[in-house]
Amino acid sequence: MKKILLSEKDMPRAWYNIQADLPNPLPPPLNPATGEPITPDMLASIFPMNLIEQEVSPERWVEIPEEVMEKLLMWRPTPLYRAYNLERFLNTPARIYFKNEGTSPPGSHKPNTAIPQAYYNREFGTKRLTTETGAGQWGSALSFACNQFGLELKIYMVRVSYNQKPYRKIMMEVWGGKCVPSPSGDTNAGRKYYEQNPEHPGSLGIAISEAIEDAVTSKDTKYSLGSVLNHVLMHQTIIGLEAQKQLETIGEYPDIVIGCAGGGSNFAGISFPFVRDKIHGREVRIVACEPASCPTMTKGPYVYDFGDTAETTPLLPMHSIGHAFVPAPIHAGGLRYHGMAPLVSRVLVDGLIEARAYNQLETFEAGLIFARTEGFIPAPETDHAIACVIEEAKRAKEEGKERVILVNWSGHGIIDLAAYDAYLSGRLEDSTLPKEELERLIKNLEKFPRPR
Amino acid sequence: MEVYCVKIGMLMEIDYCVAMNEGLPCQDFIRCWGKRMDVVAFLEERFSQEELKKAFCSRPKSRMERIIDTLNMTKKHG
Repeated sequence: MKKILLSEKDMPRAWYNIQADLPNPLPPPLNPATGEPITPDMLASIFPMNLIEQEVSPERWVEIPEEVMEKLLMWRPTPLYRAYNLERFLNTPARIYFKNEGTSPPGSHKPNTAIPQAYYNREFGTKRLTTETGAGQWGSALSFACNQFGLELKIYMVRVSYNQKPYRKIMMEVWGGKCVPSPSGDTNAGRKYYEQNPEHPGSLGIAISEAIEDAVTSKDTKYSLGSVLNHVLMHQTIIGLEAQKQLETIGEYPDIVIGCAGGGSNFAGISFPFVRDKIHGREVRIVACEPASCPTMTKGPYVYDFGDTAETTPLLPMHSIGHAFVPAPIHAGGLRYHGMAPLVSRVLVDGLIEARAYNQLETFEAGLIFARTEGFIPAPETDHAIACVIEEAKRAKEEGKERVILVNWSGHGIIDLAAYDAYLSGRLEDSTLPKEELERLIKNLEKFPRPR
Repeated sequence: MEVYCVKIGMLMEIDYCVAMNEGLPCQDFIRCWGKRMDVVAFLEERFSQEELKKAFCSRPKSRMERIIDTLNMTKKHG
């Protein structure tokens, strides 16, 4: 069987909240200004209380509201595919299954949380949402969701991406979202940079500040975030819950569950239901894949070390975990990984999952193999998970084991073809940057004002 | 030559990475470009020790910390 489909009536009716099963509870996030735990009241100015309740909920199962179910049914349950062609190409005894989250209207897993967030906001009385977006995946998903629930949306898109990725911006606008390049002239946070240089390329940090300021200072407006938070990860567990049911119908259970991990939401979506099984004694390996260029989970935070207390020695880049230089807060409350969802960091520290890093070139090579065997073109971040699948399938061949591999195919790459073009035309070499190329690029620095 | 930026979610050139942090390098600059060039020499040629300390010696903020920081700032400026 190529596609394992779940009927609409068998779609899961509740999300899984891993906080109920964690061997070590998640420490509360701290207010950086006071060092005190952040209270629900502090978040109430940007999130509706019904989502804050989910954020701190200890309940194992949270029922999916009927109206949310109706919207999710537009593309869910998503198909689980057996990757026969990839298996044949690799000549592996492994059985590879991929959960295709690229079938949603915006083409990724992101609307699994955008839809419930829009719904809960509307129920709370919110009329308008704000958010930030980098390359536009989250912005387009939330624009689709707001359109479904009659909410206004303003998206602050990092300008460099706004200029280079017009199709994502167009998607947002097709669904009725208002997308502006950040820094914009619309907020105090943005004006600071915009007035210095209207072509300032922006950063995710500036875009976050703009979206939050807008939410706090505008009537009936809240802020929405597409990764990292507990309730976001919980909404994504529908992926893994469906996959469990689908595999059960064909009498399979995975030996390995694989997902790529940027902020952690798609990885949590496929894996947390299986982490639950593991906590309860089931044998399953769960792997989070990240870029080797930015290995926050496999190598930890990275800081500059001034070498000695007099700070006279040359700068030495170094990985910081276990080193005396590491500022104390990094160790407080268990390790946290920069940019990663606290719940994913927690299960990694507790040894329930493992993390692996993949080089840029091998991920695109994996993506190409996938596209040329299974047909679907994966998003560049999905390529990290596919690189891991190929590695595991080869290992199964070497060891002569019939392993079952499950991977979250988190989104398609149709709007990211420029990245494949860069790979195919050799612009993604992992080798040394030529001097002339470096000088050419550095000439562009005038657009960034230096701090005074 | 470009690198896939996990923060933005797209390919970026080095001129962005070296100055996106208020004119200073991204905290992930060393990780992302370390294999392709002598990053220490490169950075020391362009930035003072003070600037590099500012860019790299603070702990990276989590998303929630960044949100709360912004909230604190917005409230302070009324």
